[in-house]
Amino acid sequence: MDGQIAMVLSVLLAGLGLFTLIVRKELIFKLLGLNVASGGASLFLVAVARRAGPGVPIIGLGPAPAADPLPQALVLTAIVIHFATLALALVYVIFLTEHRHTQDVRHLERLEEE
Amino acid sequence: MRWLAGGVTLSLVGLLLFASLSLPPGSEAPDLEAIAGRYGVRNAVAAVVLGARLWDTLLEVLVFAMAMVGVRIALRPLSKAQEPPPVPESHLLSQAADLLIGPIAVFALYLAASGHLGPGGGFPAGAILGSGLLLLALAQGTERLARNIHERGLERLEYGVVALLISGGMGAALVGSPGSPWLITANLLIGLEVGIGAWVVLHRFVAHRGEL
Repeated sequence: MDGQIAMVLSVLLAGLGLFTLIVRKELIFKLLGLNVASGGASLFLVAVARRAGPGVPIIGLGPAPAADPLPQALVLTAIVIHFATLALALVYVIFLTEHRHTQDVRHLERLEEE
Repeated sequence: MRWLAGGVTLSLVGLLLFASLSLPPGSEAPDLEAIAGRYGVRNAVAAVVLGARLWDTLLEVLVFAMAMVGVRIALRPLSKAQEPPPVPESHLLSQAADLLIGPIAVFALYLAASGHLGPGGGFPAGAILGSGLLLLALAQGTERLARNIHERGLERLEYGVVALLISGGMGAALVGSPGSPWLITANLLIGLEVGIGAWVVLHRFVAHRGEL
């Protein structure tokens, strides 16, 4: 049951992030929404990895049955990659802000058309 | 527009909820002994990360290093922050940072070195090391800390660590199933790489945008 609660929460989190990504017009808020959605995806993977029972995927720590180690390993790599890409995306937002003096997408599109 | 986006998101959330709640229950609990025992470790996640999915992890480290290089190169043409960010004159902060950086570094080392036995591993160790450097940067000022820890040398060390990891991974893949010495070495190297990368990002952002 806890696994299902975590699953519902993760889907809601991803939906919230997606909504922010679509609705907000400032690039920095779009990145924040992407961040939240990615957190939802990570939580979903962890929830899928859960098995009935209190075990952790470490031998000798707690009784079996344990969680599935494969999705947890996926989440580990996903978090680090997300940090790296977020840093890179922020750099380009800084770039746009310095050169165009705005982060508003509508404004940027209008500048591009001129 | 807002209502349309809300409707689309809500329907997508509903679909995802429907799909995820009708997932079949997970299969039997995995046989940890079979996974972890094959690499001679106790942490099954570490066995997957650095054993079964070794290439995924190594190329991910490469992607991380490339993103750090991207941050460094893309920020270069931008103007630096007007004046160097001032060093906060907080006696408490500087004393606490001097006191805490030792335990933080030791804890990061411990997590990296024991990642094959328990919770831990290279990535969290690197993140902790980076946070320790952030604390020092808050206390001493970023530019001074960058001089003190020889940032250029550290960046070269980062590239060296990535090259070492990839070549070591090739060697480990050739040997077959590498044992716990490889896992310990890889965890330590990954911790160093992630810690340096986090510091580089921090320093570049502070240097170009100023402290908040």
